[in-house]
Amino acid sequence: MATKTVTFEIKRQASPDAPAAWERFELEWRPGMNVTTAMMDIAANPVTADGQPTTPVTYDSNCLEEICGSCAMRINGKARMACSALVDNLEQPIRVEPLSKFPLVRDLQVDRSVLFENLKAVKAWIPIDGTYDLGSGPRVYPQQQEVNYPFSNCISCTCCMEVCPQFNEDTGFVGAATIAQVKLFNNHPTGKVLKEERLRALAGDGGIQECGFAQNCVEVCPKRIPLTNAISDVSRDVLLQKAKDFFAK
Amino acid sequence: MATAQQSAAPTVRRGVQPLRAGEGSSFLWHKLHSLLGIVPIGAFLLEHLLSNFEALKGPIAYGAQVKFLNGLPLVRLLEWVFIFLPILYHACYGVWIWLRGKSNIIYYPWAGNWLYVAQRYTGLIAFAYILQHVIRQRFMGVMLPEHPYAAFHKVQVELSNPWMVAIYIVAMIAICWHFAYGVWLFAAKWGITTGATARKRFGYVCVALGLALAIMGLASIWAFVGPDYKNAPEDPARAVSLLVAPGAVFAPVTARIVSI
Repeated sequence: MATKTVTFEIKRQASPDAPAAWERFELEWRPGMNVTTAMMDIAANPVTADGQPTTPVTYDSNCLEEICGSCAMRINGKARMACSALVDNLEQPIRVEPLSKFPLVRDLQVDRSVLFENLKAVKAWIPIDGTYDLGSGPRVYPQQQEVNYPFSNCISCTCCMEVCPQFNEDTGFVGAATIAQVKLFNNHPTGKVLKEERLRALAGDGGIQECGFAQNCVEVCPKRIPLTNAISDVSRDVLLQKAKDFFAK
Repeated sequence: MATAQQSAAPTVRRGVQPLRAGEGSSFLWHKLHSLLGIVPIGAFLLEHLLSNFEALKGPIAYGAQVKFLNGLPLVRLLEWVFIFLPILYHACYGVWIWLRGKSNIIYYPWAGNWLYVAQRYTGLIAFAYILQHVIRQRFMGVMLPEHPYAAFHKVQVELSNPWMVAIYIVAMIAICWHFAYGVWLFAAKWGITTGATARKRFGYVCVALGLALAIMGLASIWAFVGPDYKNAPEDPARAVSLLVAPGAVFAPVTARIVSI
């Protein structure tokens, strides 16, 4: 073997209830190689380091440039996007596992639909549907755009939820991503028509109060979204909304 | 979109459940836990540490402070409503919060994550300490509400055991840590310090607060175990009356009484 190789250890699981097992792969090194391209190399030649034929690894990925949010997985123990995880920057053997907080589908593929459900629960959209032309929306000043823009960068990768000690089956915590989207849509001049409903939703069980402010979310976020700022800000809004509701009853 | 939502019939989900939008009352219980930590528990901690600081002035001054506190109107009610019950709730709910969190410090050894874990352990140390402290110092032995001037002696006897001194020191540091970081958390989670820079700056304020309280607390412990007031009499108020009698031997206190 004159060529340089890289070693991968990948956690495999054929189905949600099947037993998990580690498989080792020895791949030829290529410049600029990342974890998703390594998966493609395995799919092209699905043979383990021991020479045993195996199945290609199942995983989610799409854009390959850290903008779609599909390929989040645990690489050397840490949640991150596989496409931007350059092999040259990783310690070997590179251990790849699925995200641990989401129902497993197969191998590295997990079901992250809880985030979609949460976004629906807080009405993370701007209501502009109507039976007639509503005309152009109110003007958003550049200063406000600058505040909002970082929150619009969320790629729904769920890394913030994976690393959160409070996001688990006991708390049913909503997670940082959804809270940041509440801030984004509440800040929008048209979106804020649903502001009160979003804030009341976030005061439900599993809501914003479950945050323990460990700040892992903001450390891990690949898009560097100021998640803790959003949590702090929205926490106050939720509290004021609840107080308002209480005294207005 | 609307049709897609309707077709998604409720099924048994695996994994973390979605937000129960607007349902339940955990928001109230969480916020109560958080608020009680500042008021009245935090406020009481400040009062307690300030009062303890009087011990540095000796048994008479310390006893006077205990007497003053026990002379407050409705003091037994204040004690239960603003001290015992809030601490009990804060502690029990805090343990409940701890049990439901899943620490991942091994994989993510970041500063905030460490503080998250530390807040839980310091809280547990504080609770265990406070339990024994209240039982042994408030409900056992000489009743201080009736005999406030016996306070110095009572604490001094307690701290004559070096293990107890160690427990008091560890608990003092843990409690001041828990309170200082708790104030910081309160500001962050109630939307007071919403910006990262503001949180950093307030972090320095809280470090200073925690350090100041811990130093004050440790100095108070020193008052009981140090050389200044060794073998304080069981009831220095009586010692005052004995002062006229020959052979009053408690030099530091008598010296102080003379100076008064």
